[in-house]
Amino acid sequence: MVKMTMIARVTDGLPLAEGLDDGRDLADAEMYKQQVKALFKNLSKGHNEASRMSIETGPYVFHYIIEGRVCYLTMCDRAYPKKLAFQYLEDLKNEFERVNGSQIETAARPYAFIKFDTFIQKTKKLYLDTRTQRNIAKLNDELYEVHQIMTRNVQEVLGVGEKLDQVSQMSSRLTSESRMYADKARDLNRQALIRKWAPVAIVLGVVFLLFWVKTKLW
Amino acid sequence: MGTENPGRPNFPMRPSFTPFASAPPTVRPFSPSGPGTGSESSNFRPIPPGAPPTMTPFSAAGPSPPVRFSDPSVPSAPIASVPPSGAPYQRFPTPPFPSAAQAPPNRAPPMGQPPFQPPAGQISVPPPFFRPQTQVLPVPMGSPPQNANFPPSSMNVPQPPTDSSLSGPRPNFQPPFPGYPSKQPAVSQAPSPFPAQQGSFMPPPASPSPFPSQQGSYGPPPVSATLGYQSRDQMQHPGSAPPTGGVQRLTEDFSSLSVQSIPGTNDPGLDNRSLPRPLDGDVVPSSFLEMYPMNCDPRYLRLTTAAIPNSQSLVARWHLPLGAVVCPLAEAPEGEEVPVINFASTGIIRCRRCRTYVNPYVTFTDAGRKWRCNICSLLNDVPGEYFANLDATGRRIDLDQRPELIKGSVEFVAPTEYMVRPPMPPLYFFLIDVSISAVRSGMIEVVAETIRSCLDELPGFPRTQIGFITYDSTVHFYNMKSSLTQPQMMVVSDLDDIFVPLPDDLLVNFSESRNVVETFLDSLPSMFQDNVNVESAFGPALKAAFMVMSQLGGKLLIFQNSLPSLGVGRLKLRGDDLRVYGTDEEHILRLPEDPFYKQMAADLTKYQIGVNIYAFSDKYTDIASLGTLAKYTGGQVYYYPSFRSGIHGDKLRHELARDLTRETAWEAVMRIRCGKGIRFTSYHGNFMLRSTDLLALPTVDCDKAYAMQLSLEETLLTTQTVYFQVALLYTASCGERRIRVYTAAAPVVTDLGEMYRQADTGAIFSLFSRLAIEKTLTGKLEDARNSLQLMLVKALREYRNLYSVQHRLGARMIYPESLKFLCLYGLALFKSVPLKGGYADVQLDERCAAGFTMMALPVKKLLKLLYPSLIRIDEYLLKPSAQADDFKNIMKRLPLVSENLDSRGLYIYDDGFRFVIWFGRMVSPDIAKNLLGPDFAAELSRVTLTEHDNEMSRRLMKILKKLRESDPSYYQLPYLVRQGEQPREGLLLLVNLIEDQMGGTTGYANWITLIHRQVQQN
Repeated sequence: MVKMTMIARVTDGLPLAEGLDDGRDLADAEMYKQQVKALFKNLSKGHNEASRMSIETGPYVFHYIIEGRVCYLTMCDRAYPKKLAFQYLEDLKNEFERVNGSQIETAARPYAFIKFDTFIQKTKKLYLDTRTQRNIAKLNDELYEVHQIMTRNVQEVLGVGEKLDQVSQMSSRLTSESRMYADKARDLNRQALIRKWAPVAIVLGVVFLLFWVKTKLW
Repeated sequence: MGTENPGRPNFPMRPSFTPFASAPPTVRPFSPSGPGTGSESSNFRPIPPGAPPTMTPFSAAGPSPPVRFSDPSVPSAPIASVPPSGAPYQRFPTPPFPSAAQAPPNRAPPMGQPPFQPPAGQISVPPPFFRPQTQVLPVPMGSPPQNANFPPSSMNVPQPPTDSSLSGPRPNFQPPFPGYPSKQPAVSQAPSPFPAQQGSFMPPPASPSPFPSQQGSYGPPPVSATLGYQSRDQMQHPGSAPPTGGVQRLTEDFSSLSVQSIPGTNDPGLDNRSLPRPLDGDVVPSSFLEMYPMNCDPRYLRLTTAAIPNSQSLVARWHLPLGAVVCPLAEAPEGEEVPVINFASTGIIRCRRCRTYVNPYVTFTDAGRKWRCNICSLLNDVPGEYFANLDATGRRIDLDQRPELIKGSVEFVAPTEYMVRPPMPPLYFFLIDVSISAVRSGMIEVVAETIRSCLDELPGFPRTQIGFITYDSTVHFYNMKSSLTQPQMMVVSDLDDIFVPLPDDLLVNFSESRNVVETFLDSLPSMFQDNVNVESAFGPALKAAFMVMSQLGGKLLIFQNSLPSLGVGRLKLRGDDLRVYGTDEEHILRLPEDPFYKQMAADLTKYQIGVNIYAFSDKYTDIASLGTLAKYTGGQVYYYPSFRSGIHGDKLRHELARDLTRETAWEAVMRIRCGKGIRFTSYHGNFMLRSTDLLALPTVDCDKAYAMQLSLEETLLTTQTVYFQVALLYTASCGERRIRVYTAAAPVVTDLGEMYRQADTGAIFSLFSRLAIEKTLTGKLEDARNSLQLMLVKALREYRNLYSVQHRLGARMIYPESLKFLCLYGLALFKSVPLKGGYADVQLDERCAAGFTMMALPVKKLLKLLYPSLIRIDEYLLKPSAQADDFKNIMKRLPLVSENLDSRGLYIYDDGFRFVIWFGRMVSPDIAKNLLGPDFAAELSRVTLTEHDNEMSRRLMKILKKLRESDPSYYQLPYLVRQGEQPREGLLLLVNLIEDQMGGTTGYANWITLIHRQVQQN
């Protein structure tokens, strides 16, 4: 079952349209939306070149297709047939290109094609039930090949950035720790110096004291 | 001079102070002769006087005056006797300069001040005033320290000849110029001293070198008005200005009324006709825009006084409310629409620290790489895409392509950061009471009909969502799925645990389900016509609607016809008991009874749902509780007591249609920012406060205004100008998220008199009425009225102390020209529905409904309600041929006094909410017959006004139509009343003639006397 749908421009991650009342009965819809946004950001940076991909996240799967520099993404249950999900996205893509194709590049404000949400809503309803005759027919249709579509995990995908973060974090920790090490080394050095010369100094001190006492007494 | 520089052109002069005070160097670019300045001034737009200090005002001054001036052959002074100023300057010995040097500090605050009203415009300035003044004069002359203060006053002398009537007397005042007492031996011997004073006026902080250029700019000395103001400004300098010389100012400052009542008699001793009346309706003070031409239009933002006090002690002395009234979506006339700006990838330019949006008052520095925020004066970087070079005067070269840098009202397209979710579609949800009383009144029919006729005009096609719930003792849901041919009704009778029977399709896309919706609306009246259910499960139905809408938000229209009697939110008949009035319990009747309503309102706001309540009952419906829903969700209460579709149908039809079709902003939040040192402390209107200063407004439209009060955070403001910025972030019906930004600047003054001069009666009363209404919710009506009266008295007393003591005004009542209607509107507010009388005067529901309505009204509409118009029309109707311009003539408003009702006349009383058409006893039978048809002799309460087939009737209808068109927000239903037809006449009209003494209330003249007496009792 389709949970949410988002359409964005790949070049700059600008959201173009989104399904109406998405995430209605989702407990943590916000979190998934954030993930989607991060994903779009990654896409706009040029990661993940594959034009079709499924990404697992928790109990759900993101499916997306990129066509004409627009990314159509939907979130479904894991159990929802992949084939149907991609059919759904194809439908959206065809309609979106037909209606707004010419203006996609020039859209300057977010959600410039929000009017498209009514179509999303309508189409979504068609795909809601996997057991309708229409959907079963689609499932059986071998024309549409989805097996080659890669499936990855969301941590992996979003992780590219995270890993970089981690590396930089580690390196910064390394510098700070090495600085600490240097400090400690200096400290130790000083202590060693003291340990080496302290007895000598004490002996000399005692000798001088004795001399002084001697001169005083006599 | 008069010929060269009549009237307005004086203005540009003013700004010239600024450079001296703040940035002397700027003076240099403007050589008086430079053609270059000319070109600058041309793209500068005429207004710049108001420009922030750093803007180079000189260009504004325009090249022409200086040029002219430098030519000695042109006489510069306004009065013929004044010689060219060029020469005198040289002649002048040094002394003038030092004294001038003292002047600037005093002058600083006034910069950008508008001219105050020319004295000619003032009421009753009796000539005798002039005389005393001459006597006073000697005083200032004697005291040298005052000299510095005085030179400016000298500027009054060169009164522009344009004001011919006054220029005569003016010269008499010369003696006050203390600047050079020795040089002014006699009044008549003006000529040479004059220029001298100008010299002294020069504040030059700098060496003599800038002098010539200044001289040029100052040349046309006459700016009498503005400069005169300065003299006043000095007044406030502690101790600096003795009251002397004040009389002259006085004549310009205020109006006075002689109130000489003989103690012990009732005769107020006032000429009723001479009292000031706002017969022109709401007059917006023009000074606001004149001073700072880049300010937003006053229709969006009005300050109660366009001069902000600089110290807390001054605030304390200004007893009127200090604040602003914002009408964020006021309808703009054709051609003045707010420009929409899309920054696209640049992102919206805002101050890093205070989040102020870029506006005309920010200044660019560092060759255009930085900009200084005008509110917190933080230096921000200019983003690369927004960079533009500065020209020689420090202005951006791309100024004409950047509306946000020249206009005070702009709209930005919001980028993704301003959205928590995609822009919501416009959504209308209807909650309709179908119990027996609703059926009987015919309300359902009118509502269904109106909604159906408005379907095409609902904003936001094709995304608009729509849904319905009806309820009596059960709640009925309607499945409007587009594939159905007819809506499916689902009844839920479990009121304790209400649930939504269907996840989707209760709220549908209107363009898809149009047929179903239409079928539903067609059948709705007949579906329930035999309903005999008397209960009303309002609370559960509201909860159900909330559940359906909570995903999207939107507008919820509730049509309630009886007291909610079932389920949560059940209300009981709270006795509107006579005995409660006058006790401490009184206000509880005006508060919501059940906490459910307030809680619900908070939830609704949170989910971006705005509620409009339509109440129809003839019995008590507890509007106080129901209205709470509208109050906290930015909605509105419409109240039609004893609704009958035959009578009130048109009103409901019009107002519902307006509600559905007017441009609405969705899921909005509004914030008003202001400069350092001041702070908005309280907000008044229909909204929910989300944080300390963020107003949550689920829906906003052009008929809503919000008022806020201001306070000073610091004891002393050091800045010369304060800036205000209103930002409304909202989703337009078309699905765009936008930010409406209004910016305004106001000068900081040190003078109480100036505050009074810049006061805006409309805004003051807008705030006043809200404060008073809020007061009725926490205390007795009596207390609210008393505190109102006390404020008026205090304000007038303060004003009186300011001027009168030293002028021995005796029994005259004095008040600022700008506030001449203060007393009248005060009286009107006193007698307005939410505040007037006690138990018997107004029904409780009506009082509450009026209170809710007045809390949201824009200024203009409120003033109309407070002082309605009364128009005589029989002459026009009888005129054989009517021309178009006749119409304007007949629109002459009359004072609201019953003496004005001529028994041979026909009058229309229009308060913006209804018409009362009053037939005089001796009105020609022709008129009555033509207008009312055959049953003209019947009792008028049974007659409705319809158009008959004759010229007269058509003309009347045309008049009514015109009157309605002037303000479409409410529909005025005509009530007919004949003279002497009691009690109808009394209830409809006589009670509303607010200047009359009726029952226990005072008349206008008596009121003035009363106030005056209290003012005098120190």
